[in-house]
Amino acid sequence: MPPFLQFVIRRFLVIPVSLLIITMILYGGVMLTPPEARATLYYPPKMNPNMTEEQMLHFQEMIIKRYHLRDPFIVQYGYWVGSLLDGSWGYSPTMNQDVLPALLQQTPITVELALYSLLFLIPLGLVSGVMSGWRRSSVFDRLFRGTAFLSTSTPSFILALVLLSVFYVQLDWFAPGRISFRYSMEISEETFTKLTGMLTIDSLLNGRLDIFWDACKHLAMPVFTLSLYHWATLGRIARTSMIDERGKEYIVSARARGLPERRVVWRHAFQNMLSPALTSIALSATSIITGVFVVEIIFNFNGVSRVILSAMSGVPDAPAALGFAVYSVLMVLILMFVLDILQAILDPRIREGMLTS
Amino acid sequence: MSRSKQFFSRWQNWIGLLLVLGYAGVAVFAPYLSPHDPAKPGPFLQVGKVFLGEPQPPDEKALLGMLPFGIDVYHALVWGSRDALLFGLIVTISTSLFGVLYGSISGFAENRLGSLMLRVTDAFLAFPPLAGVVFLQQLFISSIGAMGGYMFDGQIYTFSGTPLGVTPIQVLLERIDPLMLSLIVFSWMPYARLIHAIVLTLKQTEFVQAAHALGGGPFWIIRKHLLRNSVGPAIVLAARDIGGVVLLQATLTFIQIGGGSVWGEMLAQGRNWIIGPGGSVLRYWWVFLPPTIAVMLFGITWNLIGDGLNDALESTSQRGFGRRPFWRRKAQVAESPVQPTLEAGHAARRPHRTRESIL
Repeated sequence: MPPFLQFVIRRFLVIPVSLLIITMILYGGVMLTPPEARATLYYPPKMNPNMTEEQMLHFQEMIIKRYHLRDPFIVQYGYWVGSLLDGSWGYSPTMNQDVLPALLQQTPITVELALYSLLFLIPLGLVSGVMSGWRRSSVFDRLFRGTAFLSTSTPSFILALVLLSVFYVQLDWFAPGRISFRYSMEISEETFTKLTGMLTIDSLLNGRLDIFWDACKHLAMPVFTLSLYHWATLGRIARTSMIDERGKEYIVSARARGLPERRVVWRHAFQNMLSPALTSIALSATSIITGVFVVEIIFNFNGVSRVILSAMSGVPDAPAALGFAVYSVLMVLILMFVLDILQAILDPRIREGMLTS
Repeated sequence: MSRSKQFFSRWQNWIGLLLVLGYAGVAVFAPYLSPHDPAKPGPFLQVGKVFLGEPQPPDEKALLGMLPFGIDVYHALVWGSRDALLFGLIVTISTSLFGVLYGSISGFAENRLGSLMLRVTDAFLAFPPLAGVVFLQQLFISSIGAMGGYMFDGQIYTFSGTPLGVTPIQVLLERIDPLMLSLIVFSWMPYARLIHAIVLTLKQTEFVQAAHALGGGPFWIIRKHLLRNSVGPAIVLAARDIGGVVLLQATLTFIQIGGGSVWGEMLAQGRNWIIGPGGSVLRYWWVFLPPTIAVMLFGITWNLIGDGLNDALESTSQRGFGRRPFWRRKAQVAESPVQPTLEAGHAARRPHRTRESIL
């Protein structure tokens, strides 16, 4: 088996293990509630609203018996995982929908936002970090350090307030939300085929440049807000690892051989500093995912954050909260996996299994 | 150059230190700077007329103007800094203590225990604190709901009027801020990973081997040798975390997902006057600027302290690398092992102090 495939498989096996540990801890939290509360996890979508109190209690007892909700932790946990694997993740009364379909339906919207931010921030962060690390204390370096410092100290909502105030209220260039009102009816019609669920791609596939442009205008502010912080962190890490690489002997030897400066930076030093930089970005996958949801709520983007809002509305809705927790862990694990694979593609030392990330 | 001398040789660190002292001073002397209304204590003090929806500009009654509905900006700002500092310190101290202990044990244990502990750390790394807040909040609401009660404004009520038999754990869950709890539970991992990596390299050094040979028990070695040589980077991380945690709290409060940040709440109350129709950052500046500056400066302060500590704890050889004459540079490199910075992830630090304590 080629080492790269080995790496991918070994890395992939981490996902179920992490998922197992996290779901056990989550269900341990659920165990703190009384069995009657746990029963709401399994309530069916269509409950007769005219049930008497006695019928309700009887029904509850039935669910408790069926899913062994008074048994020890391991038994209950097993039944719950079983229901996750072949079920709809429970019915959420506040969303009036099953949890899993609701999550999957909103996923492309969130993925679109996250994808554009990552495409934006990873190249920019690496390039600016490399450039400022290579020419330490230059004007560019000072400028970069100042900007990065300020960006990491700015909470996303304050940046969002400023952006909204300037570009939405005053200038009216960009807008919150996902799409303008006049297109919102059109995209929900049958004639607008949805293949990916991402508006920017779907509109191009439908040949509607006006909708594409409108979607881009709505994406601009959230993508910028989301990228700025992580661009700064990634750039700072890239800068420090670049400074580390700069002093090494292979750089001196490359220069001694008379290689042009650009080649020394981008072919020699850059490839060696990629690894630590990407490790750090993979480790902050949780903060990227949290950031996506926060930015969605601030800009009214209505992706997966819709589930959070309904779970936080103060009404008992355990399936939504638990489903969201499992879902977001899954999202983080997938993001980490993708970033690690990316790192392995870019760094042969990891690909060959010589370094463990 | 000694570490403290190095720390004070940079002006940025002086500013950071002064700002920390400033925040701490405001937090400690909040009752003198802006006394509470004895009838209604709390960070939000009513000084203007309740029906005045529009924020009022600064006047003699309210030094920094009023939020909508006549709430004093200055009072909330002062008491907010107390809340923020307390929140940041509680969360950071508990996470760092736990993470450092966990990491040193997992790094020291060679066997299955060590690798299992590392697996658990990695699993926790995949859990976003936001999901933790949502989950914990819902946990409490649904357990109350299942017993026939409901929550309103932080109080539990019952439909029938009979008191609820709440278990102690549920009382605790209600008392404690879900955000604080979930941040403590879900943000100790960076410390554990950092210390784990340092301990792994330290274990192979001679002085730890010597301690083994002297017959030292595992906890004695961890306490006496490993912890003392590995807390430096953890302190840097903690200093930066204090700012980050408070920023996150303000953000989540602003979007109404829990957390009791006063500064975030101020901006949430004034948001319609900033981004509503006709609103502007400049027009109602006293609604926007004071809490914004307070939050951002708080983040900047702890970032400055963290950067300063990082530079001071880093070895001197690496700092002035390019500027040193080459003969000294060579000697420095040969003398000290390579010391990657905190950002590079795996920190390895030269043992200090402990060598004398063995002999």
